[in-house]
Amino acid sequence: MKNKLNHHFQAIKLVLLRMRNNPLPSFMISLVVGVAMCLPGLFYIGIDNLSKLTNHMQNETEISLFLKLDASTTTITEIKALLAKNAAIKQFHLVTKDEAWVKLKAASETNNDNSNTIHQLDKNPLPDAFFIQAKSNDPIALEALKDELQSISGVEQALLNTEWAKRLATLLALGKKITFFISILLGIALLVIIGNTVRMQILTQKDEIEVSHLMGATSSFIRTPFLYAGMFYGLFGGLIAILMMAGVVQLFNDSVTQISNLYSSDFSLSLFNNNLFLAIIGIATSIGWLGSYLAVNRSIASIKIN
Amino acid sequence: MIKFDQVTKRYPGGDEALKNVSLNIEAGEMVFVTGNSGAGKSTLLKLIAAIERPTSGIVLIANQNISKLKPSAIPYMRRRFGLIFQDHKLLYDRNCFENVILPLHINGITGLEAAKRVRAALDKVGLLHKEKAMPITLSGGEQQRLAIARAVVSRPSILIADEPTGNLDASYAADIMAIFHAFHQVGVTVIMATHDALGMSARQNRVLHLHQGALTAEKITL
Repeated sequence: MKNKLNHHFQAIKLVLLRMRNNPLPSFMISLVVGVAMCLPGLFYIGIDNLSKLTNHMQNETEISLFLKLDASTTTITEIKALLAKNAAIKQFHLVTKDEAWVKLKAASETNNDNSNTIHQLDKNPLPDAFFIQAKSNDPIALEALKDELQSISGVEQALLNTEWAKRLATLLALGKKITFFISILLGIALLVIIGNTVRMQILTQKDEIEVSHLMGATSSFIRTPFLYAGMFYGLFGGLIAILMMAGVVQLFNDSVTQISNLYSSDFSLSLFNNNLFLAIIGIATSIGWLGSYLAVNRSIASIKIN
Repeated sequence: MIKFDQVTKRYPGGDEALKNVSLNIEAGEMVFVTGNSGAGKSTLLKLIAAIERPTSGIVLIANQNISKLKPSAIPYMRRRFGLIFQDHKLLYDRNCFENVILPLHINGITGLEAAKRVRAALDKVGLLHKEKAMPITLSGGEQQRLAIARAVVSRPSILIADEPTGNLDASYAADIMAIFHAFHQVGVTVIMATHDALGMSARQNRVLHLHQGALTAEKITL
């Protein structure tokens, strides 16, 4: 056991020493891994943040129920009773046309562009409206509820405010799929690149491998340093990818914050997604290991003792 | 310790390198294998070191039939041997100390214990003061001595040397032979292929003479 640990420790030491002695080639291959991991990572961050945003909006699902302009107070009370009875509705509130009118006028005070238009109107153009929150977030249930409310007499229009969010969510699902396939393609490319690098390394260490064989080294003794080399390329590449992603996110975040301020939202890109970072490092290291594993077994077998 | 029973080795597409060779080497012997180039000296040594397997016949090393050895067991078998080659097979990307420590790492020996053994081995071949030198800066004789240090550092019971003095002039060769005799004195089995008789003189040694793959003479020199 101690021997085995020692063997791995020696292999790691050897690999790190070799990397230190060849810093530029080691950095280059790590950089390749880094860039290849960074691309799908950024896609993922973008899509993840957008879907968080849309989820956030979908949770605020609201059905607006606009009544006919000539709706009487009795109609309003009747509808109120109907809504109160409906089991699918969590809560609702009524905004009467007068309240809405006051609100709109107050809002227009602070907004110079519209003030004239609003004040030129001598009659309140707004309908009475109910704002309804459903119990369920399920799009189909919401759709059914909307249709049901639409059919109540005295209702001009029932509006579900999540239509566009739904469309965006569908697009995002498509984006996720694309990211997934890009990741797989880049992963395969990385396997080949790392495998090839390790194969070249094995060729440059041909003498050492041959001599080690002659001295009774086991295959695992010879293989282990190369497996670690692959893993380290992956690990360092993963770290580089994370640094690059953090840099890009930071860069974008300024603009995103500005935009979301304009929409009076406090939304910003989440900078440190620990799970994503761990996943990137884990995947990069695994790809490094697998790439060198595939290369090592073939190449070492091809080195014959003469 | 080492037993050949009617061993024949044929390389693919070639003639028989060894024909029907039977021999027996006891522990602690010093044996010279002589013959012209192409007589099969190297093949004989490779069979002993489990680098090659016989085409027919039986090779027993320490009572183990190497033809029946599992591939995974061969490395452990090889650790019984210290191998020395005419072309040294030193690693030129590392210094003397690091060359000699390699077999110890293979055997799982590291740290202070390993360093101590490396220095002892370098001391035996008179290269202790060159432990930091790169092998390329050493003379031919020193390189061969370094190769010997590497072969003995893990304290094998059998030393196998394939023409260790082949490239060296007479005085260097005498040095090398003296080192092998010293190991023989302390009980190490030494098997050496050579085409010259140098170093065999003055001591009583067993000589196996090969001619075109066949063992033609076995004699004791005086």
